[in-house]
Amino acid sequence: MIGSIFPKLFLYVWLEQDAGSSMFAEFPPATLNLNATLLRKVTRAMSDRTLPRILQTPAVILLLVWMLVPLSMTLYFSFIRYVLNSNIRPEWTTPSLSNWRGFGNYGYVLDAKDFWFAMQNSVIIVTSILLITVVLGLGIAVLINRKFPGRGIVRVLLISPFFVMPAVNAVLWINMILDPVLGLQGLAVGGLNSLIDGLRDFPVLGYFFNLWPVIEPISFRATQTSSIAVIMMVAWQWTPFAVLIFMTSLQSEDESQKEAATLDGASPWSQFINLTIPHLGRPIAIVIMIQSIFHLSLYAEIEIVSRGNGNKNLPYLIGEFANNNIGAASATGIFAVILANIIAIFLLRMVGKTLMD
Amino acid sequence: MATVAQQSNLSKVLWPLAAWTIALIFFFPIFWLVFTSFKTDQDAVNPEFLFRFTPTLENYTNMTQNYDYWKFATNSVITSTFATLFALVVGVPAAYAMAFNPSRHTKDILMWMLSTKMLPAAAVLYPMTFLTKNMLGIYDTHFLVILVLCLVNLPIVIWMLFTYFKEIPKEIIEAGKMDGVSTWGEIKDILIPLAWGGIASTALLTFIFCWNEAYWTVRLTTFNASTLSTLIEGNRAPEGLFFGRLSAVSTAAIAPIVVLGWFCQKQLVAGLTFGAVK
Repeated sequence: MIGSIFPKLFLYVWLEQDAGSSMFAEFPPATLNLNATLLRKVTRAMSDRTLPRILQTPAVILLLVWMLVPLSMTLYFSFIRYVLNSNIRPEWTTPSLSNWRGFGNYGYVLDAKDFWFAMQNSVIIVTSILLITVVLGLGIAVLINRKFPGRGIVRVLLISPFFVMPAVNAVLWINMILDPVLGLQGLAVGGLNSLIDGLRDFPVLGYFFNLWPVIEPISFRATQTSSIAVIMMVAWQWTPFAVLIFMTSLQSEDESQKEAATLDGASPWSQFINLTIPHLGRPIAIVIMIQSIFHLSLYAEIEIVSRGNGNKNLPYLIGEFANNNIGAASATGIFAVILANIIAIFLLRMVGKTLMD
Repeated sequence: MATVAQQSNLSKVLWPLAAWTIALIFFFPIFWLVFTSFKTDQDAVNPEFLFRFTPTLENYTNMTQNYDYWKFATNSVITSTFATLFALVVGVPAAYAMAFNPSRHTKDILMWMLSTKMLPAAAVLYPMTFLTKNMLGIYDTHFLVILVLCLVNLPIVIWMLFTYFKEIPKEIIEAGKMDGVSTWGEIKDILIPLAWGGIASTALLTFIFCWNEAYWTVRLTTFNASTLSTLIEGNRAPEGLFFGRLSAVSTAAIAPIVVLGWFCQKQLVAGLTFGAVK
């Protein structure tokens, strides 16, 4: 999408003059004399067609520069040998066309042991978070859509995690909550174990409690579990976002339809499946899209939880390469752009379809 | 009928109970962070003092010694405020043009703008550092942080504003045009008052995203323009020796934005639809 939509778009919008949009189609040059009424008409035509373009130009140009300059540099670096430090080949430390490597960086990255792992992990992390937040978000939104005492406070408490900055989120979860010794997890497991230990001395019941194994706390900084910790903390933070959007949408649901369904004897569950879920189709698409945008570039959480040990996504892998090998980092960056493109095409289609009506 | 009445009586109790339980579970980590911030570093890791402890403000009073909190906080306020303002100044006219004078390509432009947000930041980090450090010399300046935060959020700003503006009847704007109001007048006197709610909630969300941004702000600054994200990422406790201290500085880092969020919660809820609600 980043690479693909852009050239076509640029040509259409800024260079192509379709008949209707040219003011000279309505006012042929021959009649363009200093006629006051005509002049006003021309200005009107200009403000109808040209002004909107002028108004959106700053935004378009800013984003274009923001996207194209670094992207083309990344593309360039991905085809040359470029490292930050090298005693053997000092000439590689300055970017230059004479260090051309062709697709060598790409081959190097594809062979790197972590590449496919990071690629797969990126997708797994994003999909798990999406799944959890959408399902939980739907449930919670339905739950608080009713009137009950203290609903305002419940709402405030529920959306609070969304305001927490990712760095604090990660520090809080991995230290104060999930730490196997000092965190709440460690304390809870320790407490449970000593409780069961005490019960072992009971005459009859003690026999059963003796069968109960001693529970080991889970270290979430270890290789396989750190991605679970990341998924957990990000889902905690973003479920409130899903709740917010679903909640607003639920309020616009047609109540009379539901009442009719109740009179017809439809169960609450079938009402939810047949009426509420279709009504929420669009908000679900929006939630999925916005979250994918944010989670594909997840970094702080992964850095803080495990420093990439056993759990890294593409952005993190790029960061690791970029410590020295800029060429490889750039090639990985291009792969990340391709992955984002693939996902973007699906998502933007899904949302774009309903955006303009 | 009896079963229905019973059910609704039961659900009168169970429903709020379930809602409250879930809300408290979700809020618990934040509560725990604030709670721990009132313990000393020793008490924080001692199970004996899990709930019963002598609260202390030591962590907060020492915060300026241990961490240069106020500098980072000031930077966060400055950069987030200006980035939000700039994003609105660029975004409102663009969204206005797209909503009221759409061309065949408006949708494509919007989609393209959103797609720039999918460009992985890590992929272009090195070129950005190279450019700003070696060529432009604006590395680690407030200007750079403001610019980057503004650009990172611009697509979302334009998209949100576009969805609000689209809900405003075109006739109102047209009527203004008939009366000979200039475009600037249309934006200032008709559009902004009508879409005030939407603009406010866009500004709020942008401010939250700016405040919490943790990739560019950490990597494009060293000290001068560093925000609270850098402070937290740079001081995460090694082996949990400083839970109390760390909790205090984390609380202080999120408190302004969480409190702001609470106060503007209604506004945010009303506005955060991204055009999803018809």
